[in-house]
Amino acid sequence: MTKHAKLIKEANDTTLRFFTRRHFLKDCVTGLGAAALGSFLASCGSSSSSNKTLVDAAGNPMAPKPPHFPGKAKAVIYLHMAGAPSQLELFDYKPELAKLHNQLCPQSLLEGKKFAFIRGVPKMLGPQAVFKQHGESRAWISDHLPHFTSMADDVSFLKAVQTDQFNHGPAQLLMQTGSARLGRPSTGSWVTYGLGSENSNLPGFVVLTSGGKTPDAGKSVWGSGFLPSVYQGVQCRTKGEPVLYLTDPDGMSRDLRKESINAINEINKEEYTAFGDPETLARISQYELAYKMQISVPDVMNINNEPDYIHEMYGTQPGKESFANNCLLARKLVEKGVRFVQLYDWGWDTHGTDEGGSIDYGLRNKCREIDRPITALLQDLKQRGLLDETLVVWGGEFGRTPMQENRDGKDMPFLGRDHHVEAFTMWMAGAGIKRGCSFGETDEIGYAAVKGKVAINDIHATILQQLGLDHEKLTYQFQGRPFRLTDTGGRVITPILS
Amino acid sequence: MRLLINTGSWSMFIGRSHPLLVHLPIGILLIACILTLLARREKWRHLQGALPATLLIAALSAIASCITGYMLSLDGGYEENLLLTHKYLGIGVAVVSTGLYILEKNKHKGQLRKWQVPASVVMVLLLSAAGHYGGSLTHGDDYLTQAMPDGLRKLTGVGAAKAHVAAYTNIGDARVYEDLVMPVLTNRCYGCHNEQKLKGGLRLESVELIRKGGEHGPVLKDSVPEESELFKRLILPEEDEHRMPPKGKPGVTPQELELLHWWISQGAPTGKTVKELTKTPLMLAVLEGMQPATPWDKQEFIPEEKVNAVSAEHLAKLEAKGMKVLPVAAGSNYINVDGINASNFTNEDMQLLLPLKAQLVWLNLAGTRVTDSSFGVIGKLTHLVRLDLRNTGVKGKELSSLNACTELRYLNLAGTAVAGESLTSLQKNKKLQQVFLYQSGVSPAAVAELRKYMPKLTIDTGGYHLPLLASDTTVYHKVAG
Repeated sequence: MTKHAKLIKEANDTTLRFFTRRHFLKDCVTGLGAAALGSFLASCGSSSSSNKTLVDAAGNPMAPKPPHFPGKAKAVIYLHMAGAPSQLELFDYKPELAKLHNQLCPQSLLEGKKFAFIRGVPKMLGPQAVFKQHGESRAWISDHLPHFTSMADDVSFLKAVQTDQFNHGPAQLLMQTGSARLGRPSTGSWVTYGLGSENSNLPGFVVLTSGGKTPDAGKSVWGSGFLPSVYQGVQCRTKGEPVLYLTDPDGMSRDLRKESINAINEINKEEYTAFGDPETLARISQYELAYKMQISVPDVMNINNEPDYIHEMYGTQPGKESFANNCLLARKLVEKGVRFVQLYDWGWDTHGTDEGGSIDYGLRNKCREIDRPITALLQDLKQRGLLDETLVVWGGEFGRTPMQENRDGKDMPFLGRDHHVEAFTMWMAGAGIKRGCSFGETDEIGYAAVKGKVAINDIHATILQQLGLDHEKLTYQFQGRPFRLTDTGGRVITPILS
Repeated sequence: MRLLINTGSWSMFIGRSHPLLVHLPIGILLIACILTLLARREKWRHLQGALPATLLIAALSAIASCITGYMLSLDGGYEENLLLTHKYLGIGVAVVSTGLYILEKNKHKGQLRKWQVPASVVMVLLLSAAGHYGGSLTHGDDYLTQAMPDGLRKLTGVGAAKAHVAAYTNIGDARVYEDLVMPVLTNRCYGCHNEQKLKGGLRLESVELIRKGGEHGPVLKDSVPEESELFKRLILPEEDEHRMPPKGKPGVTPQELELLHWWISQGAPTGKTVKELTKTPLMLAVLEGMQPATPWDKQEFIPEEKVNAVSAEHLAKLEAKGMKVLPVAAGSNYINVDGINASNFTNEDMQLLLPLKAQLVWLNLAGTRVTDSSFGVIGKLTHLVRLDLRNTGVKGKELSSLNACTELRYLNLAGTAVAGESLTSLQKNKKLQQVFLYQSGVSPAAVAELRKYMPKLTIDTGGYHLPLLASDTTVYHKVAG
């Protein structure tokens, strides 16, 4: 009897062993299939548009689209100072901090706080710049930006921007995509998704980098995330070929290129009819755009034709990779109807570890590199009547501490400030932004925001608002729920809107 | 019993079951009344049997509700008169429901039976009234009327809708407390800090009440917003349990915050107008935003009147020329015509714009091949708000034809050879706000002439120059070189 039972048990075990993970998955098919069917059916609904005659019916994802309401801005130029510039040396003047210079930081500022590098009890570091008030708005601007002082009455400062990320990568992602984690579309992608591209021969979202490095967060800061990849930023170089792999190989005539692209697109169209994958449409329009860009990009990216006085104004040197060149290019791109121009300038991370990354030397050199170009950009846009319809945004990914950095508890060879999330300064100008306004305040040492606090998604909401987009309505269905740039937050910063 | 009432936590804990418990007598008593009525008919006679038990449970739950209600009232924070009314009505319900039970038990004793129906009616009335006042205690006494549709409100004549019309046309004349601060407090704070609800013992309906403060002391320190709870609580982090309005309730906007800060720092005055108080530059900006909008401000670039959509046929013709035509906003029939990819657009093609003249408000002809002859058509596009003629061949001899475009706000003539003398004709475009003349042939004298007629017009002739500063070339190094 026991032998009998043993045999049965063994037979059962063997049968069970034959059931592998494959069997499990196979048996799941019906259930999973039904679940998947639901999402397929949902996405099969035709996207009905209220104004069909005026909206591109061919399904071109980059066709211009009307905004939710009439926008003040047609384009955005976003100047991101990667590494985070010190607000305490540029715009946030704190005479009280100077009095505390070299004194030990009070415990109350350190308790329960976490810093990227500061350990133990650091010393306070007074402002390392000379401040004066400028313009009718009496805005405080330091001597690091002598040219920019003339624009005091043209911009709106946000003095109390806050973030919750104290490392460059996540903070840059948060600043550009609204999330500190990878995978969300960048602001430029959302904007081109919402409004399409004005010029059908150029990308709607162009990225220009300077400072020798791309941002710490990598190319995800201009990625399209879960949006169709046609909306990702196109990086253009100021040195060498503007866009890599865009030129035809030797012996390939433009006609032949056209023929081959037509053929590929025909096949892709069949593919799209069969499967309806929006990525196929993205591919078709990207091939077509690339073909057009072979002519249009070298033209718009060439700054040699600009008159001398413009070069003098911006301080540009053709053929070099520089922030100045990028500023001039930004103006040219916006003039040509590019919707979103994103500039990254690397090298603002002033910890005091070396001369380049120091408050006393490196920061001043970086300021020199941007002072003239930014001022020239604003004035050039203004004289062409473009500042009226172009939103210019300036800022880093966070601010810097009023304390001197003491990495590993040691004194640094140069003056430096650590990453600071609680308050930093950004500014906006143009397209419906108030002129000569300052919103938000920090405490007397510039440590914490006390009034007019602005969250990162408030910045995003405001950018979209000026473009005529309601940040709560600009959504994309993904993984079963609508996503938006401002996620569940975001308030338009109305005090700086005219 | 003594123990229960005096140890705060027990009575409070049990008391808080009152909002739950009260629903039992309400439901059971209503059922009992319905059963009583039904059981009088032959067909439903058998329901008789359920009556004694139902009424007993109803009476017991009513008594339990009274006890828990009393415990809850010890908690405080309720408006006295309303509370008293509710209390007596509640006790009334308990007494009458007990009475009903006794009636039911003794109904075979001759006369008593005929009292059943009137007693049930009294019961229902008492119950409704007690329930209503209970609701008013927790939700505020305008909870019901606030949600009434206007029609019903008129019909019943209760709580007539107070239409929120700005009492001022110019922000300078607005009374700071009455017209600006009070609406903020009404919208954000009154819900909890009112006569009935009295959260934290605080009422905010008038300056006197604000100055009186709550059970934790004063909330207003004159002229020092940073030390006034009324302001301090608003800027606490959202997670903070002391933050006001509490998590989940609509928060105060940045402008409203600035406004409260300013009002308190001015000593929380009443009856003063905006003009009479000193203002920081930031406050000026905030106040500017509160200026009641004129219809034009609301939609700066779109006329108010409705128009028909453009016909698909005219649209197709224009698009065939490379012009981009888009509504200025989704759902609007007003259009923006953009020639960014239409560098071959000519004077002859301008005729294609005429059928769209009712809808066309923004026109960008920058970089196209149009010249002065295009003004014949432009002069007929009378709804134009923005006109961009940058880098075209126009010489502006016909600039006066723009006078017909009475809505024009933005005119860009940068990079054109516009003649100076015709510029003064723009003075008839009364709504014009900005003119761009960078790299045009206009002389400073002509600009000065136009400025004389239109002092408020922004005229940008560009040609900005950045001086060469020593700092432009200074490279900072530690070792002086």
